[in-house]
Amino acid sequence: MSSYDSRLLNFVIFAPLVFAAVLFILPKNEKGQIRALTFIAMLVDAALAIWAYVRFAEGPAEFRLEYWASWVPEIGLSYHVGIDGIAASLVLLTGILGPLVVLASWTFVQDKVKEFHLAILILQTAMMGALCSLDLLLFYIFFEAMLIPMYLLIGVWGSEERQMAAMKFFLYTLVGSLLMLVALLGVYFIATPAGQHSFDYAAVYNGLLGGSREVAACVKAGGENCSLSPVAAALMRYGPWMFGAFALAFAIKVPMWPVHTWLPDAHTQAPVAGSMILAAVMLKMGTFGFWRFAVPLFPAAAQKYQLALATLAVIGIVYGALMCLAQRDIKRLIAYSSVSHLGYCMLGLAAMTPEAATGSAYQMLNHGVSTGALFLLFGMIYERRHVRLLSDYGGLAKVMPIFTAFFVIVTFSSVAVPGTNGFIGEFLVLLGTFNSKLPLWVGVLASLGVVLGAAYMLLMVQKVFFGPVTRKENQQLHDLNLREIATTVPFLILIVVMGLRPQPLLTVIEQSTRRYVARATLGPESSEPQLQVKTRPPPTPAPAPAGAIPSLKLGENEAPKPSPARDRLLRPMISPNSPRPVLMAAPPANAQGAH
Amino acid sequence: MIDCSSFYPSTSLADFHAQGHGWADTLVCRLQTAPLPSDAAGSHLWMIIALPLLGAFICGVFGKTLGRANTYLVACGSVAGSFLLSLIILWCVNDYRTVAPNTYGEAFHYAVGWDYGVWFSAGNFRVDFGLMADHLSTSMLLVITGIGFLIHLYSTEYMAHDDGYWRFFAYLNLFVAAMLTLVLGDSLVLLFVGWEGVGMCSYLLIGFWYEDPQKAFAGRKAFITNRIGDFGFLLASFLTVATLTAFIAQAPNDNFSSSRDAAGAASKFKQGLFTRGPLSFAALESFAQAMPSGTDPSRVTLESEIATGPLKGHTYGHILTAILLLFLLGAAGKSAQIPLYVWLPDAMAGPTPVSALIHAATMVTAGVYLFCRMSYLVVLSPFAMAVIAVIGGLTALFAALIAFSQEDMKKVLAYSTVSQLGFMFMAVGSGMFWAAFLHVVTHAFFKACLFLGAGSVMHGNADEGNIRKLGGLKREMKFTWLTFAIATCAITGVVPLSGFFSKDSILHGLHTNHLEQYPAVLHFVWFLGLATAACTAFYMTRLYVLAFEGERAKDARVPHAHESGPAIRLVLGLLAFGSVAAVAWGVPFMDHPSGHEAGVQAPMENYLWPVFNTARQINDRTAFVRSEGEHGLPWGAWGMAWGIALVGTALAFFLYRSFFPARGNKPVPALEPFRKLSFHKFYVDELYDLILIRPIKFISFIFYRVIDAVVIDTIGVRGTAWLTTRFGAMLRYAQSGDAQSYAAVMAVALVAGIVLALWGSM
Repeated sequence: MSSYDSRLLNFVIFAPLVFAAVLFILPKNEKGQIRALTFIAMLVDAALAIWAYVRFAEGPAEFRLEYWASWVPEIGLSYHVGIDGIAASLVLLTGILGPLVVLASWTFVQDKVKEFHLAILILQTAMMGALCSLDLLLFYIFFEAMLIPMYLLIGVWGSEERQMAAMKFFLYTLVGSLLMLVALLGVYFIATPAGQHSFDYAAVYNGLLGGSREVAACVKAGGENCSLSPVAAALMRYGPWMFGAFALAFAIKVPMWPVHTWLPDAHTQAPVAGSMILAAVMLKMGTFGFWRFAVPLFPAAAQKYQLALATLAVIGIVYGALMCLAQRDIKRLIAYSSVSHLGYCMLGLAAMTPEAATGSAYQMLNHGVSTGALFLLFGMIYERRHVRLLSDYGGLAKVMPIFTAFFVIVTFSSVAVPGTNGFIGEFLVLLGTFNSKLPLWVGVLASLGVVLGAAYMLLMVQKVFFGPVTRKENQQLHDLNLREIATTVPFLILIVVMGLRPQPLLTVIEQSTRRYVARATLGPESSEPQLQVKTRPPPTPAPAPAGAIPSLKLGENEAPKPSPARDRLLRPMISPNSPRPVLMAAPPANAQGAH
Repeated sequence: MIDCSSFYPSTSLADFHAQGHGWADTLVCRLQTAPLPSDAAGSHLWMIIALPLLGAFICGVFGKTLGRANTYLVACGSVAGSFLLSLIILWCVNDYRTVAPNTYGEAFHYAVGWDYGVWFSAGNFRVDFGLMADHLSTSMLLVITGIGFLIHLYSTEYMAHDDGYWRFFAYLNLFVAAMLTLVLGDSLVLLFVGWEGVGMCSYLLIGFWYEDPQKAFAGRKAFITNRIGDFGFLLASFLTVATLTAFIAQAPNDNFSSSRDAAGAASKFKQGLFTRGPLSFAALESFAQAMPSGTDPSRVTLESEIATGPLKGHTYGHILTAILLLFLLGAAGKSAQIPLYVWLPDAMAGPTPVSALIHAATMVTAGVYLFCRMSYLVVLSPFAMAVIAVIGGLTALFAALIAFSQEDMKKVLAYSTVSQLGFMFMAVGSGMFWAAFLHVVTHAFFKACLFLGAGSVMHGNADEGNIRKLGGLKREMKFTWLTFAIATCAITGVVPLSGFFSKDSILHGLHTNHLEQYPAVLHFVWFLGLATAACTAFYMTRLYVLAFEGERAKDARVPHAHESGPAIRLVLGLLAFGSVAAVAWGVPFMDHPSGHEAGVQAPMENYLWPVFNTARQINDRTAFVRSEGEHGLPWGAWGMAWGIALVGTALAFFLYRSFFPARGNKPVPALEPFRKLSFHKFYVDELYDLILIRPIKFISFIFYRVIDAVVIDTIGVRGTAWLTTRFGAMLRYAQSGDAQSYAAVMAVALVAGIVLALWGSM
């Protein structure tokens, strides 16, 4: 691995931010330049993400392209990034989506153009950062940092009831993530011995693993009075609570039933870019959080609540689909379809079998592509008509044939017709669920989504596109222009390619799947989950722990004083975006606006 | 017989002649010898699918710019190309030496196949792009591409005035590609690709004239009803994976003792599941072969309980029955059987060539194809067979009764299709797979001919499809009349047309076969079949008489019908010829492979012998189906079948030729209530609406308005917000900024503290 590789993720994460800094100097009314620069920034980031994905070749290490730098050594916080299979896949998705989002809002946003593009660039950095973080607190910082730009996207550039929706989105997410912060601190103190407290993912995970095994063994023995180590005792007592806090935070983000009600509002009110990012990437932060943190850190608790988790996921699938049938607002319908689709992702995670987990990860990508495309396409007619109800449209197939063809193809992907990407994900999730420990009815009920999904999507297609053109305003609509076609075609290509040649993507995912399942089940392979990531060296210079990572150029011994120059570079880049100050200022201003 | 064993593609003709063979021998041997090595044929199977797919792409993307003639050329040419390739494959699979590789066991003879590598895999599951053509698939290939080509040709004239021609041909080509995938796929998953693909094309084509909301709705109804079936199909596939996984963990080598090297066969099978995935048909076949019935402590049998996995505790037999019943749900969706038949009659909203190709000749027979493909699993579950037969029988009769009173030409034909598909299911249920398939082929000819004839009638009568407003077409559209009459005779079962032999071989099978554990079932179904045969004769004759005989109706849309053009006539003629010529597959004259005393068999039975060989072997072992076949030709049964058909025909002729005009469109007033019931399709659509669709809509509405909006959002979310606000407001009083109140609180607290301290010390 070259030294470029070890810095590659830094570029992926911070390239948008650097461009944002350049954008900051541009004059406000140079809208064309602002758009072009943002587009180039996103293209660069996409290229970097693709490069990172390609460089993420097969190898023994779980996390690759690692980069480590001490940040606040006093509390054990480091800037530690690296990607495994699932993170690499999601980074790829996020990267590819970036330029398309900019293209999609090329003409839609005419107001506060500079601020808008600043927001999506910062958001891109935050999302990439959250996906790559291998430090719990760093993840938390990026996770929270996503909130503000998205809050602004909805609240400033949204539709008529944008402030209510933005507020709801913000508060909902904040409640969950504050609970997660508490749990995160709990983990911090439990997992690592005093004096060596660390937020590093590997340190925390390895610290908890022994305890989790003890707890699992104790639960299996059914004994009340097992002799437990301190870590295990703490896990036994607080583990379910901490799992609950993590799970709630991520469940809100997913969103799982019954904490999903922010999503329809947020999607309905958000501008096209907001909806696309929200659907395609931000919701995945929830499922990704389960995958990376909630389940592997607390496997005993996760197994205990496996059925509950799966039940909520199935309710999400069926309930979300039924909701869609009752909608009159197209964007709300697509939003509820997200609830249903994300239910498959959660079911796949809860089933804890290799097939289901791989399917779940693939479904995350699929949902990003197909629901992202649905919001994109709807944004195009919204831009023309500025109405969202099903009854406002009808017969568009006659007026906009290209648009209709695109929309119908995306619809088929969304209802998982084989040959499109959706099928692979759904099939693997359901197959894995059937072959898991979960009762059969879970799989059977989840499969009902196959029927209901077709019912609501085709209902929408029929009402919007078929029949006679009922409204005069719709008779003069012009079909897609070249920019719009160019924005949509990549999605269509992805839909077909991911449906017909999924194996390269699945191979990358599967490397993580194996580990996820082993960790979640503490199964026979669970001796393997000793992470090969960089753990924090003890604060006092000590001999390097065994198993140093060959990938890291930094010698273990010089780690305590790792290149201060780089350290200084990093700090100012992150701190201005630290969420705290903005977070305190933002809510009251908008809270008053909402009422 | 000529001995062609010394004749190979590589043999030089001079050598062959030197052995004393003449030119006639050379020709025969040439036809019996594969023109290509197995590998070469197998590895090019993809081209059969790729051609129409490419055609669909060209027509869909460039069709508008290419213009009509070029689009027609591309669309028809691609299907014709597939047809030629299919012929070559037919030639190949006729040779015994042609073999398809089999990862799970011994290679298949009379088949070509190829594995194009992995499609997707995860955990222990894997699916490959594997295609295989055996005699069953090849026959389907020829039906799909052959009749498909004719219908493409027909459409060039039928759609000549439609602006959406390029869209139409793109969909039609796409459909052909999907249908070819369905029959060529060598695994359940790949079959499912075609299965859903044809459903998607059917949706697009039914709703082709989307500006009419009724037609768009019909397309949606078809897709969603099919999806209900697909739900069953998917569940069945998942259960199959679980069963096979449990089986390889549990089965000892003895299970494979029918093979010479049991341990080797067992390990090859397990290895195959690992390297090639559990859902390929070859895996299912090996599994079925290794699964004995009865109780045997040294083996895993149908009675054994599954030891591991999610199905633990159930017996293999029960799970297999469940799997087959779920597949039946899937097949009922695609092949329009009770309870999912309701979409097919509405699907007539599509252009008529579509009805002929998709909703008569090919797609709707996919369910039958599925069961024929998995015949070895079907024969393992007598209960499932009984259910399949009964469902088929009931559907056949029920649909025929509805067809009695329909007034739309295409509707009658649609219900007739449902009814004929019921016949095929009856055959599957009685273990007469070859008869089911023979009926698939003959039905494809005569039903396509009937539909296209109806299309020709509508074409010549300004799209009038109501048979009461036609009449007298015999004189005005002579050619259409002739072909329609031939096809009507074929479906009615007039000797010696093809329909007679295919239908009769089914009825004969129902009569002679018995399910050992459910002895009365097939007899009951046989009666249903006989009744349906009579009904078929009646409603088809009624249709024919009302449309073609008599006088032209007074309220006809145009005073004079015009005969269709050359393309339509050519296609009608060829299909009518096919309806007659297909008889060649149905007349039993060939020697039985198992000896002369076993009687004679039809060429179709002989041709499909290798396909159903496993099923037959399994049945010989389990004896779930008993055949009390009388040897020799079944003259008695033939006579009865013909008699029944004649009675139905005569009755309809009599009623509708003599009494229909005289009694004001109601030939038998006494049966008016029944006519009404039948005309309204026994109110099944309304029933489904009442018990299924409305409740779901109601529940979703309640969920949305009550649970989502009130319980979660108002009480849960806003309630929390409200509580927080209240709490904050309460606290606000505590920090009023008023020094006096602070002092008062301090004083009270101080007093309280002192009191408490004193209290505690006392």
